[in-house]
Amino acid sequence: MTDSTESPDLTRRDGLKRLREGTYGGLFAACAAITLLTTAAIFVTLLSDAVVFFRSISILEFLTGTNWSPNPAGGGQAFGIIPLLIGTLVVTATAALISIPVGTLTAIYLSEYATPNARSILKPLLEILAGIPTVVYGYFALVYVTPALKATLFPEMSTFNALSASIMVGIMTIPMVSSISEDAMSAVPDELRQAGYGLGATKFEVSTGIVVPASISGIASSYILAVSRAIGETMIVVVAMGAQARMPEVQQALFGIPFVNPADVLLESGMTITVAMVQITGGDLTGGTLPYNSMFALGLALFAVTLVMNILSDIIAQRYREEY
Amino acid sequence: MATDNANAGGFGEVSRVRGIVFEYLSFGASVFGLVALGVLLVYVAIDAFDLANASPEWLLTYFLTLVVPFLAFCLYSASDRDVTRRALGALGGGLVAVAALFTAVEAFVAPIPRLNWQLAYLFVVAAPVSAYLAYVGSGGRVGAVGFGLLGRLVGGVAIGLAVGTLFLVFDPLLWFLAYTLGVLPAVGLYAVGRRRSTPRAQTAAVPVALAGLIAAVVLRDVVATYPSDLIIYLWTVAVPVAAAGGLLVAGRSGRTVAALVAGLPLAAAAAGGFLAAGVGLPGPTVLLVLVLTGVPTAVYVSRVADAGEGLAGLGLPLLLGAGAIAGALIVEAWGVPAPDPWLDGSFLTAAPSRTPVEAGLYPAIVGSVIIIALVAVLSFALGVGTSVFLEEYTPESGALGTLTRILQVNVANLAAVPSVVYGLLGLGLFANLLGLGIGTAVTAALTLSLLILPITIISAQEAIRSVPDDLRRGSDAMGATRWQTTKNVVLPEAMPGILTGTILALGRAIGETAPLIMIGAATTVFRAPDSLFSRFSAMPMQIYTWAGFPQADFRYGVVAAGVITLLLILVGMNGTAILLRNRAERGS
Repeated sequence: MTDSTESPDLTRRDGLKRLREGTYGGLFAACAAITLLTTAAIFVTLLSDAVVFFRSISILEFLTGTNWSPNPAGGGQAFGIIPLLIGTLVVTATAALISIPVGTLTAIYLSEYATPNARSILKPLLEILAGIPTVVYGYFALVYVTPALKATLFPEMSTFNALSASIMVGIMTIPMVSSISEDAMSAVPDELRQAGYGLGATKFEVSTGIVVPASISGIASSYILAVSRAIGETMIVVVAMGAQARMPEVQQALFGIPFVNPADVLLESGMTITVAMVQITGGDLTGGTLPYNSMFALGLALFAVTLVMNILSDIIAQRYREEY
Repeated sequence: MATDNANAGGFGEVSRVRGIVFEYLSFGASVFGLVALGVLLVYVAIDAFDLANASPEWLLTYFLTLVVPFLAFCLYSASDRDVTRRALGALGGGLVAVAALFTAVEAFVAPIPRLNWQLAYLFVVAAPVSAYLAYVGSGGRVGAVGFGLLGRLVGGVAIGLAVGTLFLVFDPLLWFLAYTLGVLPAVGLYAVGRRRSTPRAQTAAVPVALAGLIAAVVLRDVVATYPSDLIIYLWTVAVPVAAAGGLLVAGRSGRTVAALVAGLPLAAAAAGGFLAAGVGLPGPTVLLVLVLTGVPTAVYVSRVADAGEGLAGLGLPLLLGAGAIAGALIVEAWGVPAPDPWLDGSFLTAAPSRTPVEAGLYPAIVGSVIIIALVAVLSFALGVGTSVFLEEYTPESGALGTLTRILQVNVANLAAVPSVVYGLLGLGLFANLLGLGIGTAVTAALTLSLLILPITIISAQEAIRSVPDDLRRGSDAMGATRWQTTKNVVLPEAMPGILTGTILALGRAIGETAPLIMIGAATTVFRAPDSLFSRFSAMPMQIYTWAGFPQADFRYGVVAAGVITLLLILVGMNGTAILLRNRAERGS
């Protein structure tokens, strides 16, 4: 407010006001800087302890070792990431087998078939799937899904197994696939659909032959995001899959072709990268020990994989997007 | 479509089978996850409330005394003949259909474990119909009033309990001094300055508040005698809340009503607090709950009375309360065996235990409330600051524009970092490097704040972006500085959206477990934490611990009760967020 003099001096410099403007601007900039600092802190924290770890265990040994036992009772620690990678791969792939087809079909239904009313009900309901705490999903898998599967399909299933955990991870990641894919499909202009109908295509042909190919970049990036989420998922796997780092038994089939029995992997306990990290927290957490440092090496691997996948999904969504 | 003209020897004939099959397949896919989750939730609810052991007579009694009056209230409020017909049809038809289907499946396929047709009817038919009717009924005046009152009662109790919990950690004596010396004078000065429109007085409020706070910290150990906790809460919480309620009403309804609205709940709460303390109950908590429930309720009732519409809705809490009492009396008189729910009062107020019957969630609830309160403050401040900087303070192009883009990409990437990695950050940085302690509430709050910060920023940015540019330009044209425009125009307009996003993000934080494990949060604590630096447990942490116990009573009873508690809190938070958003959308 300026003083009520006859001709207010509009160019007057008000020191207090300028100070206030500058203070608030600086405060907001500092808030924004915290996000950059967080990223830097994640890098530095992970790297500094991981480097200590790689001084004792070579990177090659870490990446190619087939035995993971950071806190053995007798001695003979081993830090090989291969069994953990296999566990992570099994969970991620099985979860993707559920989330990708179901999520894609959901997106097609929401974008092409559903009435506006049905869509306005279904979309927020689907978001609930992603909002349930993951420890609750893990509990469901352990206490309800495993006994149900055991009673009906797989009597030889063990209490902690990869299958029920993967099913729950899959259900949890459905909305990730469906919401991003649906956004991409809704962005396909109506002219393309009308053109398809004009050529005599049915609704099915328009949906699968025009809309899906036209939005394929968005769909693909949603797949990558869902898979990346599944890789980093911790609690479902910790609660329901148990904690046994195992190499699957390779059997010889006809003509000596090696194969792995899927039941041996899916119906048994296993360990993912995230489970291995959680398991180590049972020990000493003040730092300095080899298992403590190995946690950060695993974290670095996890961080790198998910970061690459997110960037990849970004690039796919940006570069291969059809501009209409 | 092309099928209409199907006469030219096969030309134009299209099989629709494939399309129809695909449509139903995709519909099935979109409800697949929901149905799976729904079944699991039904089972966990049955376990938590021990409904599998509820006799049909017990269910029938409560159905008649609680559910039927509630449905009748909603139907009365909706006063739509079509809705009534449809609802009664669904309830009646559903009864026959579920009973028949269930009996058939049990007889010919396989027995369904721990579920009978009465329960199935309750979950599959009665619950969705009730939800639908509550939705329709809340559209009518009577229903809106009824649900509004119910929401204020429940919300008041929840907030009262949460505030009481916070005082377990934050020193009430320090708060008493800070309030008396800092907050009260500053607010008074600001109000006077506003009333007389003297900006100097308003500006002076900030140094006064600071000086008061510093004085409070200095005097904390110098002053020897303090009033009792009850009087401190009465003076620092109850009186200002009542005064705020009175001021809200005073402008519209006059002084007498305002005095009533402020005075009645205050007197009731004070009386309740002292009585409870006399009987041996926690007096301060009773006081907080009563005043935080009473004042909003009184304000609401006076507003409804002014509007003079839908007064009948005020009876809804009475209707439900009377129904519950009547149900209990009938069950008692009839001698019907009642279920023994795991989720009951003692579960919420007892400490964890090795024996399932005695196990409780109280220390974990306290831990969660404290962490969430800290996370809310931190992530809200940082989130709003960052999003204001990104949306209002940086240009789109030039060197600063590049910085904005980098920040934007960085935030998007942070949102996708697995939560367990944030746990490592908390362990390495906050717990060990900065020495805040392994498994302390402060470490957990900082870690979780960073975890949900990207989500908060992204939603706050969306809210700020949706403020129309005309408003900003209008403010600029009046000669406002950038900060004045932000403070007076942008933030008030965007606030509902920002709050909605923050509450949703807090919902994510309250269920996170992996980061808590990584920073070494206790798997079980037997006493509620009493400072920010004491070891704590949180609700999801406790659920994780219990889920690992092999006894069936833990797996199917205690954990189920914990899961339901956690989910109910989440539903409450998300419901509040959605209400906020809907109200903002209606307003604009």
